[in-house]
Amino acid sequence: MKENDVVVIGAGMAGLMAAAVAAKSGKKVKLLSLGAGTLTIGGGIIDVMGYVEGNTPAATPSAGLLQVAPEHPYKKIGRPAIEESIRFFKEICEQEGYPYIGNLDEMQWIPTAAGTLKPTCLVPKTMNTAELKKASKVIVLGFESLKDFYPHLISKNLANIPGFTDKEYETVMIDPSLADGRDVTALDVARWLDTEEGLRDCTQKMRGVIKPGSVVIIPPVLGTSPDYRVAESLQNTLQCTFVETAAIPPSITGLRLQTMMRNYLRKLGVRIVEQALVAKSIVENGKCIAVITEGVDRERTYYANNFILANGGFYGGGLIAEPGNVVEPIFNLPVVAPADHELWANPALFSGEAQPFAKIGILVDEKMRPLDADNKVIINNVFVAGRNLCGYDFCFEKSGNGIAITSGYQAAMSVQGEKK
Amino acid sequence: MKKHHNNPDSCTACTVCVAHCPVTKATPKFRGPKMVGPALERMRLSQEDVEPSLEYCSNCKNCDISCPSGVPISTLNMLARAKYYKVRKQSTRDWVLSHGEQAAKMASAMPFGATMANLGMSMSRGIMKRIGISDKAPLPPYAATSFIKQFKALRQQSYPNKVVFYPGCFINYNDPQVGMDFVAVMQANKYEVIVEEDLVCCGSPLVVNGFLDEAEQNAKTNIQILKKWTDKGYPVITCCTSCGLMLKQEYQELFQIEGAHEYAKHLYDAGEFLLQLHDKGELNTDFATLNEKYIYHAPCHLRAQGMGLPSVELLDLIPGLEIENADAGCCGISGNYGFKDDKYEIAMKIGSPLFEKIKASGLETAVCECGTCRLQIGHGAKVKTMHPMTLVRKAYDAKKNK
Repeated sequence: MKENDVVVIGAGMAGLMAAAVAAKSGKKVKLLSLGAGTLTIGGGIIDVMGYVEGNTPAATPSAGLLQVAPEHPYKKIGRPAIEESIRFFKEICEQEGYPYIGNLDEMQWIPTAAGTLKPTCLVPKTMNTAELKKASKVIVLGFESLKDFYPHLISKNLANIPGFTDKEYETVMIDPSLADGRDVTALDVARWLDTEEGLRDCTQKMRGVIKPGSVVIIPPVLGTSPDYRVAESLQNTLQCTFVETAAIPPSITGLRLQTMMRNYLRKLGVRIVEQALVAKSIVENGKCIAVITEGVDRERTYYANNFILANGGFYGGGLIAEPGNVVEPIFNLPVVAPADHELWANPALFSGEAQPFAKIGILVDEKMRPLDADNKVIINNVFVAGRNLCGYDFCFEKSGNGIAITSGYQAAMSVQGEKK
Repeated sequence: MKKHHNNPDSCTACTVCVAHCPVTKATPKFRGPKMVGPALERMRLSQEDVEPSLEYCSNCKNCDISCPSGVPISTLNMLARAKYYKVRKQSTRDWVLSHGEQAAKMASAMPFGATMANLGMSMSRGIMKRIGISDKAPLPPYAATSFIKQFKALRQQSYPNKVVFYPGCFINYNDPQVGMDFVAVMQANKYEVIVEEDLVCCGSPLVVNGFLDEAEQNAKTNIQILKKWTDKGYPVITCCTSCGLMLKQEYQELFQIEGAHEYAKHLYDAGEFLLQLHDKGELNTDFATLNEKYIYHAPCHLRAQGMGLPSVELLDLIPGLEIENADAGCCGISGNYGFKDDKYEIAMKIGSPLFEKIKASGLETAVCECGTCRLQIGHGAKVKTMHPMTLVRKAYDAKKNK
């Protein structure tokens, strides 16, 4: 438990990215996780900046980045590090055989299972919409008994969106024969396609309802592993272009992303401790010596030279809301929140206005170190990344994984900048 | 100390557990941890609500490990199963699989008992099949001499430092060599090992088949015996990760036994204990160079304990030794789950990514702490298997014999 260069707390996208960057530079990294992170309920795509203040779509992620407020984490991280982190992430994807497409100068508008479009930045190749945009005819393919993917709803809603109005839509269904006493999810269909028999069976059934040359919108079911084996097989055999939609959990694209990141970390020798509830820290003279986990049996102490705090916000347990007070439980860092807790939430749930609690979080400097009210660094060797940062609203602006990878990168790079 | 509360309302229905459940992946007959655990628990609290697919939960604990909200999903399932069997009778099969300790005791008490029992077992696979135990499952044979007997015959060097060893049924009756290797490793570190003969089965095989009251009795017996030592500050060590999980964690989650919380602080996995010695600079690191390579499988019941993979870190200290972490998920056996006729295929399907990974590695031997994982890996991947303590002992012995 001793002899770590870096201890990363949290195995969500920010923690995985921070661990990857630190380990890649030769650091000995231990990753403490409680739960598997929320990747399998997220979209598995990298949103960077979709909407700016006032719910206005940004023309490109780059344009969106120019318009963020001074307290926004992107302002701290800065454009060069944002670019480098995206390059780093795309290199991981290339190396793991699951390349993502996209860049900061182009907004990807991807179809969702509700037939809307969602702005994002980096997506797997199975979400490439280039052919979809050009197509005069679009097929929406559903699976019998699959919940939460209704081709008619999708085609009807898409047909109302500018750029999609003049297309012809056809909806088709195939039966994966998976209904056996429980609700069928996209995960079940993806696992069916993971198998050779399933892929053969599906190819056969698809051949009956789609013609070669078609552009086909499907739920995210093209296999569960981070590769394009299933997608390429279907596309080559059927000579069609498939476009996976964003969909509801359990997220297959998120599962692929999680598996890819964990595979990468394993190769770099990152040691993951699961079920590790980090509860306290030992800080002396502005330097963290160790963090302490509370197990059902006893406490365990993890020493390191540097610590990256990436254990999420209210959902992940990185921030805890109490009446009138928000607490960061491990280091007791100050949390920036409106003093009057009546102002944390917007009671008009469907008003289209942001929820103020989304921006509650920890204030950091450009190295991601926590700051006090006087903008002074509180602990020198603790770096904060991801959802527990203050000043951004991932849900409203569509920036979740973008903040995760850029702040995770910046936190790990700040570690490297420090002399031992 | 972590507060464990079995409140289903902490579940936000986020489905992370569904994505990580190996049984859900292998069979559509299981409705999944979210639904069968916390979602239905809300119904069960107000009325008896029987969910037939509950029997498919293997208690492997991957749901608990993955849950972002700290819900002990598998424990909710085990409590629901116990409630179900409060007013119903388990099958003969489930009784037999839960009470392996009693049969083993009989076999071990008679002269040539183990040989006779093994012979009987190979002849009676047909009968077992009829009561619902798979004739293909890798049932473990009894060892000729139990660990307790071998241990009593062993002359240990006495040292002021002492630890108490909890062998558990599998090491005691089926694979005593692991226990003997552990004792040798402790001796090499100038520790004397104490074994209490009156300890009973940890109760893990009882819990999974709904014999919760019996498991509680076992828990009380074990805690009473071990507390005598832990109260005086002696560490209690397990080499079996399922026993370890049961003794320290599940006793607290399932039962209200006074002192369980205090005694659990002194319970250690063998790998973790030795690694802690290393942290304190007290580990004997006089290892021979082993220019060997092995593939390692992390038992789910180790991963659930919040201490990482201590044996991997320990084995890393042996010069020349290379350990590849398979990291390919659950092996499927989950205690006695994979022995059941109607679960055998599911268990094999769950383990197939691991078997494939091990086969693809081209390595001859897989290293793993858990006895039943080792059986399943030997059966599914057709490789030899080994407990990490055997490898540590080998590194000490090779140096001594040089």
